[in-house]
Amino acid sequence: MGPLIDLLPLDYPDAVVAIGAALLGITAGALGVFAVLRERSLVGDALAHAALPGVCVAFLVTGAKDAGTLVVGAAFAGLVGALAMVAIERSGRIRPDAAIGVVLSSFFSLGIVLLTFIASSESANQAGLEKYLFGQAAGLLERDLWIMAGLAAASLLVVALAFRPLKTTLFDPAFAASTGLPARALETLMTGLLVVAVVVGLRTVGAILMVAMLTAPAVAARQLTGRLALMIPVAALIGGAVGVTGALLASGTDLPTGPVIVLVAVGVVVACVLLAPGRGVLWRAGRLRAERRRRLAEGVLVDLETALHAGPPPTAQELADVSGRRPGAVRRGLRDLERTGMLADDAGRLRLTDAGAAAAHAMLERRALFGAWLEHGHRLDVPDAREPDPTDLRASLGDDLADRLHALVRQQEARS
Amino acid sequence: MNDDLTIVLTAGLVATAAGLLGPFLVLRRVALMSDAVSHAVLPGIVVAFLVFQSRAPLPVIAGAAVFAIVCVLAVDALRGSGLVKSDAAIALVFPALFSLGVIGITRWASGAHLDLDSTIYGEIAFAPFDVVAFGGVEVARSIVLLGGVVLFNLLLVAALWKELKVTTFDPGFARTIGVSPTAISRILLIAVAITAVTAFESVGAILVVSLLIVPAAAASLLTQRLWVMIAVTVTIGWVSAIGGYSSAIALDASIAGCMGLVAFACFLLGLLLSPQHGVLARRVRARRRGRRIAAELAQRPA
Repeated sequence: MGPLIDLLPLDYPDAVVAIGAALLGITAGALGVFAVLRERSLVGDALAHAALPGVCVAFLVTGAKDAGTLVVGAAFAGLVGALAMVAIERSGRIRPDAAIGVVLSSFFSLGIVLLTFIASSESANQAGLEKYLFGQAAGLLERDLWIMAGLAAASLLVVALAFRPLKTTLFDPAFAASTGLPARALETLMTGLLVVAVVVGLRTVGAILMVAMLTAPAVAARQLTGRLALMIPVAALIGGAVGVTGALLASGTDLPTGPVIVLVAVGVVVACVLLAPGRGVLWRAGRLRAERRRRLAEGVLVDLETALHAGPPPTAQELADVSGRRPGAVRRGLRDLERTGMLADDAGRLRLTDAGAAAAHAMLERRALFGAWLEHGHRLDVPDAREPDPTDLRASLGDDLADRLHALVRQQEARS
Repeated sequence: MNDDLTIVLTAGLVATAAGLLGPFLVLRRVALMSDAVSHAVLPGIVVAFLVFQSRAPLPVIAGAAVFAIVCVLAVDALRGSGLVKSDAAIALVFPALFSLGVIGITRWASGAHLDLDSTIYGEIAFAPFDVVAFGGVEVARSIVLLGGVVLFNLLLVAALWKELKVTTFDPGFARTIGVSPTAISRILLIAVAITAVTAFESVGAILVVSLLIVPAAAASLLTQRLWVMIAVTVTIGWVSAIGGYSSAIALDASIAGCMGLVAFACFLLGLLLSPQHGVLARRVRARRRGRRIAAELAQRPA
């Protein structure tokens, strides 16, 4: 770790914290994907609370506030809590969120009861036992970094080696069990890794940061990709990057590290939720607006063609009156038509250019074809069982079938 | 008023207020909202302290309530985008708010010894010591306050009974008959936020979280009817209050902790013994089915 610490443009303690945050971010990002996709994002919160009775029991048994013993106690209690969650859910009726809540509140209640026993047994150095759990990033040592690096490597290795069975168990547990995959063993392995990650994170950076670190990178990665094989490395990458960025920002502004990392992580999620390509809120809103605008321009084009067919070239106001659209909407549609070279302005009177007339005819043909498809489509022997694209029937049905549709319409008109 | 009675009554009122809302949270799969609120109120306390320069209960509760509402509405908005599931939304919003609070404390209030334990989280053992005179009779403040919350929740649930029911079980249908699931969900969550903050101040966070989740989860094992579920939830809450207090006295241990553990014991009993969903009942049914199939196979000529 030495050279890596020297590499960063930071004081020694800040560099240790930054590397620790990055390593924890990588681990939490990779493991968090599985928690988030199974709708158990708050499992870290429950494990953090479940650690309290473990710490108390470890203290009661050994009578010493030794870091190693307490961590083992916390990890053991976390594992028991995690298994209790699985058992409660397996009974079938209780949903994951309620199972997590039950374990969280009852284990923490047990911890409080044990704390009162410890307090009344008058051990001299029991003070601050519960504070011990909710640590501070500044307390990181270089030795902790090796533990964290080992944890990150183990998590990535397990996820990489067991990727296919993990994926199958994640998305279709029943199928996974029926193919003879050791689903329970895998679940226990992943839970064990998660417990170790939470306990290490708990002592070094605190419970709340751990909750955010398990969730935020996974949620952000989910916005960027729909494939699990990409989501895990992206989440690990985001987790690591968020850890370093937060630690650097915190040391630059002299703010506490954990909260700054949380805010950076949540900021990344909000940015992804708003802007993610193809999925983000703003992206979808933009696409919807563009679509509405195109539809409006097409509608105004058809209205204008109809009006020109019926009489002299109208003004924008007259066009609005006959089409029943709001004047503002008509003007916006006309502006778009003008930009695409479909409109010829003749002293306030509107005409179509050749391109515009061609586009209007194509539009009308498409609409007529769609009407014909709705009325006579069932009589065609469409070779393809799929429903054709209603916005461009000629392309998806082919010229032959489109012409037959028109012929059917003409037949019916001749008959009536 | 008798101290024991005051404590049990305070816990019972919290159990009632929580029992009226808890079943809806469990059925809507947002049980952990209560835990989220318990952390998310920190920036509200910091702001209240910075504005009023005091740790008087009223401004602190008001500030906490504002951020509790911010928390539930932010979760609702994030979930409403359709991109983030409700569990992940909760796990994102409350750490962010809590972090804002911690940063606020280190930046502007580091000298003030401001934290959740000392400002907003009460201790139920102290409930009898804080009294108000009520027409010549001294009543604990927590009882008056929580009685108000119970009344508020009761009126809310009674007034919006149909709406709450339909949006909980079939939001799509609710929308078609003109009941907005979004609006009802927001009203419910705001009521949860107010209940939680008021109860934190009287009895501490973990007891409120326990009573909002555990009795409702136990009741969901025992019945399929909503109003029965609420009645069972409130009953289990009172059992936890009374049983928890007596065991805390007997063991000389934390009152809130013992009440939480009794609630958990009720949950375990339900999980094991529920006639329909209990572990034992299901095992018996499975064994009987196995025997019947074995008998049928034995009767059939090979």
